[in-house]
Amino acid sequence: MLFSSITFLYYFLPLTVAFYFLVPRRLKNVVLLFASLVFYGWGEPKYTRLLGLTVVLGYGFGLLVERYRNKRAGRILCITSVVVTLSFLVYFKYADFFLSNIHAVTGWNIALLRLTLPIGISFYTFQIISYTIDVYRGETAQRSLIDLAAYVTMFPQLIAGPIVRYSDIADQLSARQHSWHGAAEGIRRFVIGLAKKILLADQLGELCSVFRASDEKSVLFYWMYACAFTLQIYFDFSGYSDMAIGIGGVFGFRIPENFNYPYISKTITEFWRRWHISLGTWFRDYVYIPLGGNRKGRWRQLFNILVVWLLTGFWHGAAWNFILWGLLFAVLLTVEKLWLLRKLEKSRIVSRIYTLLFVLFGFVIFNAENVGQAVSDLGGMIGVGGLPLISDETLYNLRSFGIVLLAGGIGATPVVRNLAGKVSEHPAGDRILEFVEPVGLAVLMLVMTAYLVDGSFQAFLYFRF
Amino acid sequence: MNIKRRELVLCITFILLFAGGFFSCVLIQGPEYSDSERRLLAPMPEFSKENVKSGRFMTDFETYAVDAFPFRDTFRTVKSLTARNVFARQDNNGIYVTDGYISALEYPMNEASIHRSVERFRSVCEKYLTDENKVYLSVIPDKNCFIASESGHLSMDYAVIEQLIAEEADFAVYVPISDLLDREDYYKTDTHWRQERIMDVAERLARAMETELLQDYEIHTLEREFYGVYHGQAALPLPPDQLQYLTGTAIDSCTVYDWQNEREMPVYDMEKAAGRDPYEIFLSGSLPLLTITNPRALTDRSLIIFRDSFGSSIAPLLASGYSQIILVDIRYIHPDHLGAFIDFEGSDVLFLYSTLVLNHSDTLR
Repeated sequence: MLFSSITFLYYFLPLTVAFYFLVPRRLKNVVLLFASLVFYGWGEPKYTRLLGLTVVLGYGFGLLVERYRNKRAGRILCITSVVVTLSFLVYFKYADFFLSNIHAVTGWNIALLRLTLPIGISFYTFQIISYTIDVYRGETAQRSLIDLAAYVTMFPQLIAGPIVRYSDIADQLSARQHSWHGAAEGIRRFVIGLAKKILLADQLGELCSVFRASDEKSVLFYWMYACAFTLQIYFDFSGYSDMAIGIGGVFGFRIPENFNYPYISKTITEFWRRWHISLGTWFRDYVYIPLGGNRKGRWRQLFNILVVWLLTGFWHGAAWNFILWGLLFAVLLTVEKLWLLRKLEKSRIVSRIYTLLFVLFGFVIFNAENVGQAVSDLGGMIGVGGLPLISDETLYNLRSFGIVLLAGGIGATPVVRNLAGKVSEHPAGDRILEFVEPVGLAVLMLVMTAYLVDGSFQAFLYFRF
Repeated sequence: MNIKRRELVLCITFILLFAGGFFSCVLIQGPEYSDSERRLLAPMPEFSKENVKSGRFMTDFETYAVDAFPFRDTFRTVKSLTARNVFARQDNNGIYVTDGYISALEYPMNEASIHRSVERFRSVCEKYLTDENKVYLSVIPDKNCFIASESGHLSMDYAVIEQLIAEEADFAVYVPISDLLDREDYYKTDTHWRQERIMDVAERLARAMETELLQDYEIHTLEREFYGVYHGQAALPLPPDQLQYLTGTAIDSCTVYDWQNEREMPVYDMEKAAGRDPYEIFLSGSLPLLTITNPRALTDRSLIIFRDSFGSSIAPLLASGYSQIILVDIRYIHPDHLGAFIDFEGSDVLFLYSTLVLNHSDTLR
C-alpha cells in the first residue's frame, strides 16, 4: 500500500489510528502489528509469509545469541543469523544478477529465476541484522515476539525506511508517550512529506518520463532531466521518510531523521552525512567499523571505504550502474579524504557547485536502466552525438515544469524552514501561524487528495530497493 | 492561543478531515458512470478468498477507491486549477486551454502511422476499385493546427502531413481543405468541427468531385448545452458550446440505413441529443456502415466516403450532390467484409480523415 493513495489515507489510516487509540496500552503493539501485516499484505500478499519467517528467525536467533553471548557459540549464532537473513535478500534480489553475469562470462545457458522483489526486503533485512548484532553486542533480546514483529514490520517505515535500529526504539516498544504535541508534530510532518511526494516528486517524475519518451532531445533537455531526477529522488525519498517519522510520531515513536538538506552540502563527505542517514550510519556501524574503520592505517581505511561504497551501490540495486554509482562515491570520498576536504570546506560556492555536479552525475548513472544508458545520458549532457542545444519540446517542457523545478530547487534548501522559523519568532507572525497552519495544512491535504483522485500518483522510487 | 491549544486545533482539524473522508468514502454511493470523463467507473471488487490471495482485490480496490471518491469531479477541478494556476503547467494530463478552446496535445507526428493509413487506403482501392472509380482524398486538420502554436503548445507540422499524404496517395486526387478552416470552425470543448461552419469545405469537396450542392440550409440550435469530450477531461469551470445543425431540402428528404443494426434512421438522431454525447445526433455517432439515400438528388451518382467521426457532420451537406452516399468507418468494420454490402461500380470514393486518426492509424483495420 502506498502512503500516497486514497486507500491508505481515507480507509487504512483512519481505521488504524482509531483502533490504536481505542484499545488499551497492552494491545497497542498488537494493533500496530496487525495493521502492518495488512499494510504489507495489501501490496505483497504472497511475500507476507517470507516477512513473517524472517521475523521469527530473527526472534529465535536473538534469544539464542543473547543466551550464548559471551561464548564462541554466540558469535557463530550471530554470524549464522546474519548469513541466513542475508540469504533471503541475496536470493530474491541478486540471484538473477549473478546468473546473468555468469552467463555473460562463461556463456553457460542458465535460466533466470525472474523473481518479483519482495517490497521492502532490503530495509527489513537490515533491521533484523541490526537487531541480532545489537543483541550480540549487549542489547537485551526482545522477549515478546509481538513486540519484535511490531518493530520490524512497523508499517510507517517497513517498505522504504528509515532503517530504524532496534537499539533506537527498544525502550519505546514497551513504554512510549502519546501526546497532542507528538500527534500534532506527526501530522505536520506527514502532510509536508506527502506534499513533497505528490506535488513535487510526482510532477518531477512526470518530466523524467516525458524526457525518456521524447524523440526530440537536446543538451538542455538532458540537463533538465538530470536536475528533475535529482530533485525527484530527494523529494520522493525524504517525503517518504517525513511521512514515516510523522506517522511514527502519532503512535508515540521517535523515528530517527533520514535527511538533512543534503543538496546544500559543500563536500560529498558532508552529502553522505545528510542523505539517507540511516543507511549511512548502518553501514558505518555494521560494516565500516567492524572492518577496522580508520583505526588500521590509511590504506586499510581507503579499502574499507571502497568496500562500504560498493556495498551501498549494490544495496540500491542488482545492476552494474548501481555498483558504478557506489564506486563513483568511493573515489570521490577517497579524493576528498586524501586531498580536497579542507580546501572544499573553506569555499562557499565552488564547493557546493562541485558537490551538486557530482551528485547530479551520480543520479544520472543511478537512474539509468543499464551502464550503456548511463553513458549515453552523461554524453547527452555534453552534447555528444551532435545534439542540438535546445529544441521546441525542451522549451515547452521548461515552461510547463519551470515552476515545479524552481519550487523543487527552493524546497531542497532550508530557506522555507528558516523563513517559517523567523515568522514564528515574531509575536504577530506566530499569531498568524496559529490560524494559518491548521488551515493551510488542511487545504494542502485537500489539494493532494485532488491529485490522487485525478489518478496521477506514482509508486515511491525507493520501493524497488 | 498557546502552543497546546494550537496543537489541539491541528489535531482536531485532521481528525475531522480523515474521519469525514473515511465516512464519506464508506457511506456515499458514487455513480456508476462519469459523464464528465465519459467512462464507466470501477465497481467495488468482489471480496473473496481467491481475489485476496491473488492480490486482485487489492489492485481493483485501489482503482475503485479513486473512482468512487465522493465529489470526484470537484476534486478533479481542484487538481486542474492547481496545476494551471499554481504550477503554471502548460497542460494537465495532456489537455490544455487557450482562449477558451480546449484541446489535447497531439504531438509528435507519427510518420509511420501516416504511412500506414495511406497503405490501408491503398489496399481498399486495390481490392475494390477500378479505373472507372474516381478517388479523392482529403485531410481534416485537428483543432491543434489552429490553436497550439499560437499559444506555445507543441503541435505537429500539418503542412508536412498534408504533403506526405498528397505525395504518397498516388491513387487519389488530393483535395486540400485546411485553408478553409480556422479555430472558430471547431467546438471550443470538443474535438469536432461545427457543421454550420463547414459549408465551404463541403462546397470545395463537391466541386473537386464535379458535383453541385444545394445551399438552402436552415440552422437549428440544440436546446441542451453541449459539453464536448474535452470539457470533462479538462475538468475546468469553462462555459459549454451550443451545438447547431443544418436542415435543407436535400437533407430533409434523405433516409439513412444503418447496416449494423438493420434499421432505418433519420439523418439527425434527436434521441442522441439527450444522450451522453450530443455530437452523436449526426448520423447516430460511431457506426461502421451507413447508406444515405436522397430521392431528390440533382444527380444519380453515388459516393462512398471512408471516414471517421468528422465525416458524420459533413456527409449530410454532400447529400444534395449524390443520390446515394455510403459511409464506411474502417475502424469498426474490416475492409475485407465490404464487398458483401457495397457495390463499388461507378461510385466516387472519398477518403476523408482527421489528422487525429491518421496519426494513430493502428485504429484502422
